Amino acid sequence: MNRWMAATTAALLTIGLAACTDPGAGDTATEPAAITWPEPAAKLDGVKLTVWAAQNSNTVPKKVIEGFQRATGASVQVVTIPDPYEQGIQTKVATGDKPDLAFWQPTASMLTAINAKTNLQPLTGAPWLDRLDPKLRDITGLLGDVRYAALVTSPAVEGVYYNREVFAANGVTATPKNFEELITLAKTLKGKGITPFHEMGADRWATQWWVQVQLADAARSGLWDRINTGQEKFTDPTILGAIKKYQELIKEGLFNSDIKTAKFEDQGTALLNGKAAMVVQVNSFFGQLQAKADTATLNSRIGFFPIAPSGNVGTFIPDQSNALVAFKTGDAKREAAARQLLAYWMGPGYQDFLTDRNTVSLETGVADPAGVPQALLDVHAAVGSSAGSMQALAVANPDLYLNLADMIAGTMTPEQVAKATQDQFEQLAKAAGYLK
Amino acid sequence: MTSAIGTLTKARALPQAAPGTITRRTHPLWFLLPAYALLLVFFVLPTAYQFVYAFTDWSGFKASINPVGVENLTQLASDGTLFRALRITVVYAVLVAIFQNAFGFGLAVLLERDTLVNRICRTFFVVPVLMSALAVGYVFQALLKGTGLLADTTWTIVVVALIHAWKWMGLAMLIYLAGLKTIPEDVLEAARIDGASRWRAFWAIRVPLLAPAVTFNVATALLGSMNGFDIVQATTGGGPARTTELLNIFIYRTFGQGLFAQATTMSLVLFLLVTLMAFPVIYLLRRREEVQ
Repeated sequence: MNRWMAATTAALLTIGLAACTDPGAGDTATEPAAITWPEPAAKLDGVKLTVWAAQNSNTVPKKVIEGFQRATGASVQVVTIPDPYEQGIQTKVATGDKPDLAFWQPTASMLTAINAKTNLQPLTGAPWLDRLDPKLRDITGLLGDVRYAALVTSPAVEGVYYNREVFAANGVTATPKNFEELITLAKTLKGKGITPFHEMGADRWATQWWVQVQLADAARSGLWDRINTGQEKFTDPTILGAIKKYQELIKEGLFNSDIKTAKFEDQGTALLNGKAAMVVQVNSFFGQLQAKADTATLNSRIGFFPIAPSGNVGTFIPDQSNALVAFKTGDAKREAAARQLLAYWMGPGYQDFLTDRNTVSLETGVADPAGVPQALLDVHAAVGSSAGSMQALAVANPDLYLNLADMIAGTMTPEQVAKATQDQFEQLAKAAGYLK
Repeated sequence: MTSAIGTLTKARALPQAAPGTITRRTHPLWFLLPAYALLLVFFVLPTAYQFVYAFTDWSGFKASINPVGVENLTQLASDGTLFRALRITVVYAVLVAIFQNAFGFGLAVLLERDTLVNRICRTFFVVPVLMSALAVGYVFQALLKGTGLLADTTWTIVVVALIHAWKWMGLAMLIYLAGLKTIPEDVLEAARIDGASRWRAFWAIRVPLLAPAVTFNVATALLGSMNGFDIVQATTGGGPARTTELLNIFIYRTFGQGLFAQATTMSLVLFLLVTLMAFPVIYLLRRREEVQ
């Protein structure tokens, strides 16, 4: 009896040990030469694909999937991963759970974060690359020289969304030409009893845009390279100065009075009904406006201009809803089918997709749908000449936004924000093998 | 593990057990195996692994795992975030222990008599115990939206502790009720004959006799809420300004960033802290029982 017990225990322990080793390890790299691209409409009866999407991107692929299922006979299921999306996916992938495709921020830092070399299929030689606008083809989606992400919509740009009617009613005829003019305009508007800017301290994530747009020129002259190599820090004057400026503007009362408790939803409502004149945001904010108003209303009411200290330069930040990655699942048939879905998306299905989403085309041969709002066209026009954001150019993506939200809530000083962000950046960069 | 089973098998060889111990054997010992197997896979092994992975550079960024010594620990110790999260967690646990026991005790005394109304009321107070913690969190988040109660950097921790206590007070009530019911009638009768008022009998006889129930309730509430996550995550997500960010929420965030080794190190710290707290707390409460 005793011996049996000991033997069983030993067996269980061994099984347990084996079961608990890193499930993310052990995958072998696919040779780039072996990648094939099936015909977009080839038959795939009986193949089931899973696409992970976030709460704000789960309706993006609807039309594409309908078309793909009709054309190929495959069945595609979209699974919504709750926010915080990236965190949820990293946790799942770490435990060995992978979809066939997922929406994913196509930046080097986020491709590193999901261990693209081990977990993702390289998209080398994708058939749609030649059709893409050359200015956008290599703007993102690459880690080193290998392409891991397919950009499907125009990447997000940080800039100022403004209410045209509020501007007109207060005699503002031209949009600001640089950051200084933006602040002068804000002070004028405040003098007339209007809330110049709206910020969402409770939902937190947009707080970082205010710091990043101030860094656009520095980003162009290599700020993030210096941060990546440890030559410069968040605590040095460039970034700390931008954080201080942001706090100064808040203290001057240029933002909504409920800045600490306001949420993303409130921001859209405030700009649409003119309660606030301007919002510094990215494309997903415009997505919210589109859900609240039709194109005609948006065209007459909402405008966009990029901003930076030196002029109208945007800060480019591809986000999770702009791109997809295909996972190495170990099932060759499903891996090929996942690539086929991407080829269909950016091929025969692209026009339908754009019309359904009412968004700008990335391919030179496919025209923009007729109903794309003017603000989105303005945003897209800013992409080509924009500067890179922290997410696009830094090797790690620290929680700058969380620290800034704490600063807005009054529990952190700008110096503490810079220090906490720098510490976390170093921790993440070291874990990823940078910054020895 | 092996030693525990060894002790169990040894017990069979010793027929002269302490008086009062049940020596009669109704089931073969190997019936314990499925339970022990589950405990092993889902509790013992992960706990043992904590002691390994906490000293590696395991992350989501690369496939290899290398030992790094105590680097994770020194880094955490130098960074104020861990201590802040620990402080918040301890404050939360103490608040929950106080509220949950106060509510549970009050309810048990109020609903002690077995009337129809009391029975119905007891059932209602146990319902939150059976509810999903996340559902409780989301319901309160919706209820308190716009009141500012979840936006105050000082008092929100008290609000979430109250919600936690509200959810679990039904269980504390049941334990206290069981305690009250087991107090022998003759002791109370003796007190009455000696001329003790109801008030006096309550505080001098019944409350001290509840000591074992207090031990159980305080220990489970305190140590259970040290591991709190679900209710706070659903209600505030750690906000406002991370003033309700319990250690487990911090661990969850760190893990989500792909820093698995650092997250494991924090879990290890929490595990050691709970263990270190459990021994003195239970020891003191037990001593209190004996004194009575």
